[in-house]
Amino acid sequence: MIRRDGLPPRLRDGAARLGYGAAGLGGLVLLMEAVPRLGLVDERFLPPASEILATLGAQLGTAELWIALGETLRGWAIGLALAFCAAVVTGVVIGIVPGLRALTSSTVEFLRPIPSVALVPLATLLFGPSLGSTLMLVGYASFWQVLIQVLYGVAAVDSVAFDTARSYRLSAWSRVRHLVWPAALPYVMTGLRLAAAVAFILAVTAELVIGSPGLGAEIQVAQSSGAVPAVYALIVLAGLVGIAVNAAVRLLERRVLAWHPAVRSEVAA
Amino acid sequence: MRRALVVLAALLVTACGGGTQPGAPAQGGSGLTKVNAGVIAIVDTAPIHLGKAKGFFTEQRIDLTITPVQGGAAAVSGAVSGQFQFAFANTTSLLTAKQQGLDVKVVANGVSSTGEQGKDFSAVLVKPDSPIRAAKDLAGRKISVNQLRNIGDTTVRASVRNAGGDPTGIEFVELPFPDAPAALQSGRVDAIWVVEPFVSQAISQGARPVAWNFADATSDLTVAMYFTTGRTDADLTRRFTAAIRKSLEYADAHPDEVREVLKTYTKIAPDVIAKIYLPKWPAEVNKASVQTTADLAVADGVLKEKIDVSALVP
Repeated sequence: MIRRDGLPPRLRDGAARLGYGAAGLGGLVLLMEAVPRLGLVDERFLPPASEILATLGAQLGTAELWIALGETLRGWAIGLALAFCAAVVTGVVIGIVPGLRALTSSTVEFLRPIPSVALVPLATLLFGPSLGSTLMLVGYASFWQVLIQVLYGVAAVDSVAFDTARSYRLSAWSRVRHLVWPAALPYVMTGLRLAAAVAFILAVTAELVIGSPGLGAEIQVAQSSGAVPAVYALIVLAGLVGIAVNAAVRLLERRVLAWHPAVRSEVAA
Repeated sequence: MRRALVVLAALLVTACGGGTQPGAPAQGGSGLTKVNAGVIAIVDTAPIHLGKAKGFFTEQRIDLTITPVQGGAAAVSGAVSGQFQFAFANTTSLLTAKQQGLDVKVVANGVSSTGEQGKDFSAVLVKPDSPIRAAKDLAGRKISVNQLRNIGDTTVRASVRNAGGDPTGIEFVELPFPDAPAALQSGRVDAIWVVEPFVSQAISQGARPVAWNFADATSDLTVAMYFTTGRTDADLTRRFTAAIRKSLEYADAHPDEVREVLKTYTKIAPDVIAKIYLPKWPAEVNKASVQTTADLAVADGVLKEKIDVSALVP
């Protein structure tokens, strides 16, 4: 596929997108450098970007930062994995057992909009400043993101195909394995992508508000130490990790759905 | 096969049961008792960090984990729910907890005011060009405190009253310490109450102290204390108390080592650490000052009724 005259089209596309992304971030950095330098905000409360990045650089050389980052990613990964598995199983069961969807929809619609942050007092009482609190908040928030998508996905299974499978006496397991799962997979992956971002936000929130170990707790300590540049440095790091998380899940999505027309057409373009 | 399953299930049940039993300190393999202490990561709590580093807790066969908490309320709820065997909270938070009928009991002093005007770790500050010149002028103004109905508003009122002003008209606004300097700068409040490192930071940025509220309230104010709950066994409490008392005495005698240990658990800039006003760390609780705080809080309506401090501080 690689042509002599340059990069393959897909790689060239990716490079262009990366270029735009970098330019956008660069613009933001310039803006953040200029605003305090020009005196538009007080430098003491919003230091210029160069100072923030220098602080981040110094922090990256400390073990504590990497331990904190590890804690955050651990809370994110475990919470997301638990919520994902629970939501997929629940969603498939609700979707294929007749009547269950109608029976549960009011409950789902009641529980879904409760913000995870509202569970902070409960998490504090049950687990205190520990991984448990993070998992509770992350799990609750990401569960609904995945569940709703799985429900849509199962509902999107072609009814003729479903009836055909039934009349060929495919077992329930075979129907799920060969019919429901492939049809629902794009929805499931969308749910995972949405949930991954939400899970990361909630992991940092739990650490920030409850004090469970991780990046959020580090931000809190920096804040109560009056270390303004360190606060911003950690926030920037959280943003960068967020980008990485999103990119990783997109990559996974492409791999898993490589056979799917939506992804295939995207590649061809 | 079935027997194997039963054994496995039994193992799982006992494993879970053992793991979730709250408040029961586990005995480590080395004969050390595992203790989890809920302690806010600020200047005030340097002694417990220093004492841990110096091995004062190991001497008492305690394997100490220090868990950073957000504040007094989190410390009290964490201790009461069994996450912490010991914790650190300010005097008013503990008095409030006691009044609410919570089973809290002080085991040692936490941190005390230096009692010296101009050299304490807590102050009320105004902008350089503010018309407020002294504590008396704070009457009727808008002042920020980190938590309403707590030790901040109680002692600020005491400052104003002692200076001959009328504290009833003061409007207290809740603002976290880190946000207070910006609020003062932008004129959202007339004055801010902060503790170190924000006192030194604000002063170095031009703010002017008008009252040293902890020093004003009484000459030797016990600001915060270490406490436990009824479920912690007496022997462990005795050992923890011995270790924390030794830590307090050591910290009080070694300010340079305190400044060093601050670099390990806070992110206070080194140049700020070098010049902040350190508090005092006497091992003894000044019970009279706790009673004063309680009485002031009752007078201001922060506490509902008079509290016998002996019930809290043995």
